[in-house]
Amino acid sequence: MKSLLLKRAAWCGALCLACQAPANVIFEAHSPYHLVQVIDEPGVRILSFNGTRETKMSLHNPLQGHFEYTEYFHTPWVWNQDIRRVLMLGLGGGSIQRAYQHYYTNVMVDTVEIDPVVIKVAKEYFKVQESPTLKIHNQDGRMFLNRTSEAYDVIILDAYTKSRYGSSIPPHLTTKEFFTLAASRLTTNGVLAYNVIGDMQDTRPEIVGALYRTMKEIFPQVYAFPAGTSLNVVLVATKSAMPFDYARVQREGVALVLRRKVTLPTFGERLRSFRNVPPRSVGVSPVLTDDRAPVETLMGGGGVAR
Amino acid sequence: MLKLVATSFVFLGGFAIMVLEIIGARYLAKDFGGSFYVWISQIGVILIALALGYATGGALADRFQRAQFLAGPLAVAGLFSMLIPNFTPGLVRAIVMRHPLDRDIPLLWQKLDPVLGSTLVFFLPCFLLAIISPYTIRLAARRIETVGTISGLVYAASTVGSIAGVFVSGYVLIDYPLSAVFRATGGLILALAGLSLVMDRWLQRLR
Repeated sequence: MKSLLLKRAAWCGALCLACQAPANVIFEAHSPYHLVQVIDEPGVRILSFNGTRETKMSLHNPLQGHFEYTEYFHTPWVWNQDIRRVLMLGLGGGSIQRAYQHYYTNVMVDTVEIDPVVIKVAKEYFKVQESPTLKIHNQDGRMFLNRTSEAYDVIILDAYTKSRYGSSIPPHLTTKEFFTLAASRLTTNGVLAYNVIGDMQDTRPEIVGALYRTMKEIFPQVYAFPAGTSLNVVLVATKSAMPFDYARVQREGVALVLRRKVTLPTFGERLRSFRNVPPRSVGVSPVLTDDRAPVETLMGGGGVAR
Repeated sequence: MLKLVATSFVFLGGFAIMVLEIIGARYLAKDFGGSFYVWISQIGVILIALALGYATGGALADRFQRAQFLAGPLAVAGLFSMLIPNFTPGLVRAIVMRHPLDRDIPLLWQKLDPVLGSTLVFFLPCFLLAIISPYTIRLAARRIETVGTISGLVYAASTVGSIAGVFVSGYVLIDYPLSAVFRATGGLILALAGLSLVMDRWLQRLR
């Protein structure tokens, strides 16, 4: 009897969770890649792909309400204090594009997004505006890198998607060949920041470990910023061979804030997520190559031999 | 016995076609991008190859009526598949890089470039592999009264092979080096070429 009551209570809980936020779908379209929806909840606007949340934005202030992990894309300043050109692969709802436009008005941003519907939605519903400092290219990220002769100080990768069945990542943006290409388009002191979803503590072959290991083949230093409120990990790779430890990162952070180079209010807090130890799965995860990039298996809970 | 040999033969042919298609789509994505159009072109081009292969195979079967004839096309398909990792990078690079640098590729070419890639790399082996189904029907059909049964069996076996090819590619082979998968598939097709010679000798004795 008691268990029945508990079950009932659980059911009610689930139902209430579903009804608590009256969601209002204000845009919906099938693109070649996803079911793209824009959903308004009280105070926040959400971009959803196939039913999972890609971007959140406060309706009162477009610079608020975003996912925490996007703030780790400000960390490249620690390693390069003279950022002028940034390439972002993946637009989504444009959280990071809006932030760069707002906080770093002199930085030129190129954004590459494969899905034309996403570009349209970002412009119409998420306050992303093309300008002399923000160009949007409708293309595949790797193809764009292949064909550009531009050099960037920072390359930011956020091409991840999630669904109820787990996350997925374009395999051709995970390989040694891809990172070689990216490194060749970075300036001498260039920094690459890469969003991935995974578990730093997993000891089985895993995507964060595999990406870390693959990046380490090309870049002399790779660091990790695990997000506090989600499973996102932003891996930061530098072309500079100079190793940074926790204290050095905090020091540089303080200096950047004092000199008002970085005015993101949470910058100091984000830098405290800094880790310079590799993910635990790094020893057992494979180096990913164009020839062998079993990302599906690595994200499905491992089981791939080195 | 004849039925078993014929169905196994087309089963393996159907299997090889789908391995080439699925692994091929993944293989092309690194150059043409992770775009939807890579899949569209891969599926479309291979269906064209199959349609033409079926028509050609049927006509050839009526003319030559010997299993050993298949050894030629299958040997070509096998060698070609084995060499895919060797010639594809340069070929695809030429397709992608012909567009002026530093400018976005027009949407039309974003759609059609992968078709070009799929055609140059995967059309020939799939066309040649498609020949074997109608050809096998002709070889295995002894009497007009049973052509229905035989052709039904051949269709089914080849399709079941293709189904196996899809799932084995997606769940198993994808974890292996793609170049090794192409070489192994090429090896399998060469083995089919050998098998067609053995079948020929055996069928001649049956007559």
